[in-house]
Amino acid sequence: MRSGVDGGGPCGADLPAPLFGNSRGTVRRQAGKEVRALQFVLSGLAIGAVYGLIGMALGISFYVTRVINFAQGQIMMAAIMLTAAITASGYSAWLAVPVGLAGSCVIAVLSYFVAVRPILAFDRASFGWLVSTLGFAVVVENAAAYVWGPTSRAFPPILNGVSAHIAGAVLTGQQLLAIVVALLFAALFEVMRKRTLFGKLGVAIAADPEMASAVGANITVVAIVAFAISGFFSGVAGVLIGPSTFANPYLGNTYGTFGFIAMMIGGIERPVAAMFGGLLLGILSEGANALINSQASDWFPFLVLVLILILTPRGLFSAAAPFGRWRVPGFSRRG
Amino acid sequence: MDGKPVVLSSPSIRARAGSHPRWRGVAGAVIVLAYLAATWFVANASLSVQSLVLVAAVFGILAISLDLVAGMLGLYSLGQGGFFAIGAYLTTILAADTHISVFVLLAIVVAVSGAIGLVIGAMSLRVSGLYFAITTFIFTLVLTVLATDLQITGGTQGLLGPSFPDFPAALAPLGAPAAWCILLALLAAAGAVWSLRRSPLYPVLLAIRDAEPFAEAAGVRTSLIKICVFGLSAAMAGTAGWLFSFLGVVSPGQFDWAVSLNILVMVLVGGINTTLGPLVGAAFVTMFPAVVNINPWLQEIIYGTLSIFAITVFPEGVVGLIRRSLGGAAEASSRPAGRVAAGEKGVSEAGGLSALPAGADGAAHDVIVECRGIEFGYGTGPKALRNVDLVVRRGHIHGLIGPNGSGKSTLANVIAGRLSPMAGRIVVNGRQVDFLSPSSRARFGLRRTFQAAELVRELTTSENVAVGLYTQVPGVARRAAVWPLLPSGRRDSARLRDRADGALQSVEAGDWTQKRVGDVPHGIEQLTQLASVCVAGPDIIILDEPATGLSSTEVDHLARVLGQLKVRGVTMIIIEHQTRFLFPLCDEVTVLNAGEVILTGTADEVRANKTVRQVYLGE
Repeated sequence: MRSGVDGGGPCGADLPAPLFGNSRGTVRRQAGKEVRALQFVLSGLAIGAVYGLIGMALGISFYVTRVINFAQGQIMMAAIMLTAAITASGYSAWLAVPVGLAGSCVIAVLSYFVAVRPILAFDRASFGWLVSTLGFAVVVENAAAYVWGPTSRAFPPILNGVSAHIAGAVLTGQQLLAIVVALLFAALFEVMRKRTLFGKLGVAIAADPEMASAVGANITVVAIVAFAISGFFSGVAGVLIGPSTFANPYLGNTYGTFGFIAMMIGGIERPVAAMFGGLLLGILSEGANALINSQASDWFPFLVLVLILILTPRGLFSAAAPFGRWRVPGFSRRG
Repeated sequence: MDGKPVVLSSPSIRARAGSHPRWRGVAGAVIVLAYLAATWFVANASLSVQSLVLVAAVFGILAISLDLVAGMLGLYSLGQGGFFAIGAYLTTILAADTHISVFVLLAIVVAVSGAIGLVIGAMSLRVSGLYFAITTFIFTLVLTVLATDLQITGGTQGLLGPSFPDFPAALAPLGAPAAWCILLALLAAAGAVWSLRRSPLYPVLLAIRDAEPFAEAAGVRTSLIKICVFGLSAAMAGTAGWLFSFLGVVSPGQFDWAVSLNILVMVLVGGINTTLGPLVGAAFVTMFPAVVNINPWLQEIIYGTLSIFAITVFPEGVVGLIRRSLGGAAEASSRPAGRVAAGEKGVSEAGGLSALPAGADGAAHDVIVECRGIEFGYGTGPKALRNVDLVVRRGHIHGLIGPNGSGKSTLANVIAGRLSPMAGRIVVNGRQVDFLSPSSRARFGLRRTFQAAELVRELTTSENVAVGLYTQVPGVARRAAVWPLLPSGRRDSARLRDRADGALQSVEAGDWTQKRVGDVPHGIEQLTQLASVCVAGPDIIILDEPATGLSSTEVDHLARVLGQLKVRGVTMIIIEHQTRFLFPLCDEVTVLNAGEVILTGTADEVRANKTVRQVYLGE
């Protein structure tokens, strides 16, 4: 858990010295505060975008199958490892990144066939998927460690070397890229979900698979496409964060957990809510690090999550769709 | 290591001995003795064997504690790791700082983790299913973060646990005392859950899991039971933490969320809602790395593959599979033997329904249910009930008819207490019940059935009917953990069975007492519902569309059964669409339309009324 947060953004090292100076005049300090706030908001958005992408990947596979794919973090790791391995053998990042993304799509679809489909075929209500997706995560993680070794490997820097100054705050090009790409993909997905037949099919299948297949929906195809998209989102998250974390087979757990928290903060019903949840989580983590102490991001997001779950168990950004056996006192589902 | 074969061989012993109580006692004694011998062996074995078995045993207790709530109540808790951590850290910290005896610490651990369990359990009233799992997951996550970051818990390094006090010199040959303590605790936990499964509380728990409205309507305080069982499970997990602290270092990594997930993996792989499944799963998960000693990554890959394989090929878990292929036949042949005989006796003794308060003739015409000015609405939209008055006289059959959506079932739910009206008052049996829960109303003699039968499909019809008697046996919950050992428990079990079978016979479903509800036809399901309602000898029964989906012979049969009930003095409110079935039975009929009462009168008056003919009979 720690490693993920520390590796979350290279902001600490890149910050201009005046931000940490404490012997400045009042005016300068005032300005410093604002810049500092802007800095943690921006780097929070950057890391939050990555959490949000993984949260969305979890949400996308959930909204079609009602299964939380606990291997999502490992799928992200697979994209990172593949990209790193291909660049290490001398090919350009322009080739390595698409191959890495394709790899994460394939592994995600594989996880559907190996770990999700057989369970749903037996009993949609059971929690068996928890065992099988965790098992899949263990297999992917250890297979990567077995093939590539447990140590970190170089990852192509992409835009990590570029730095951008925004009103005194400094971001790497990679961080800006993360924010832009994540928001773009979130918007694209939401448009697709709302405007296309495929998106509506997903909703229909989630609500009642038998009914959806009775009206002619091919559940398997929709599920495969949804898992491929979720794998793609995880892969994109991996490519965005890879330059700062480097390639390590054990990245999956950390990012999987934070993606999961992003999804929980946002709300499980709408994948795009996970992006908002992720951005909020990123800002809270970076803010806690900047304002409380350098370890605060270890516990502060969880505190927030607990408060959110107590107040609105269905997440902050969820549309009011019924899920779980939610009961309002005095209200019975049967009329 | 040696704990396993003993454990695995026991189901066959039990199945064979099933029919004779004496042999069952002997088999039980043999199992316990073999277990004690195995414990002695472990307590004197090498340290590596000891730690392997003892860690597996501690996780066995955890898995049992999870199975208690997940298997029987459907509360998939990922908080077991959290309670485990509370137990271990509390013991370690207090033992280091205060030198309190470890046995006093056990009491503290049980109290603290149990109390936190009660609080977390109370959340299950708000959220269930996946959300409950996630909420408890976060609980564990937060505890792990605290354990990592706080000073008092020693950070990621952790703390060294206390050592277990030695045996007195005379008992030294017994071996390591911690081994005895852990393995006896495992035996106690497994024994308690085994007993619970054989107590009348078990069908009630499954009813809460699968058909909560049914359990409530039977007078079960479902919220209280859920919270208490969760508290018990938390206390068990805390005890596991107390035991674990004697095994060495206590550090955050041993309690993180992955551990909670692994406990669920143990339960699911071994077989959920079985006594041995959690133990088999715990042994598999904890012993796998030690037994398969190869390249660690390959070993993990094999472990992952095996767990996927296990859950996809045996979705009911290993023990579920064994039970179905092996034990299923033995169980089917051994169980009814005892029960059919008991059932026959039941008819003569209990006479099915003789316990009814056959309303004294003098009071035959007083009012038993009175609703005045009931208003109810579902959120937005028009009100489902507007100023509804309903008066039902003692001993009458009162029909409630109206087009779909006219508010019949809503009215039934309001009277039974599942919905609370926005205005108006309800008097049942001379007592104002407006603020009482459905279960309290059931205790005052008001029972109901449901339109779509709410029953536990994996239990027999007889066991489902016995749920209706829960409130009439005192102290079931208190005695459940040692039920089969108590003479009073065995006596009460037999009595419950007799009365349940008797009730099924009185509704003429006596041939089906040993069939699972999942396997019986729809008509029998409806009769089972009726029997579960009648068995408690209620004053008033609300029947919500009892004839829906029945064949015409079944409808005639039902009419006959209801006629007999009426003779016994039971008041009935029947919601029904089939007027041909309903009108001959009824003393009075109330017609509802769009949430308002159109008319109350005799069947003939209703039939003759113009408005009724328009809105309902479609003329």
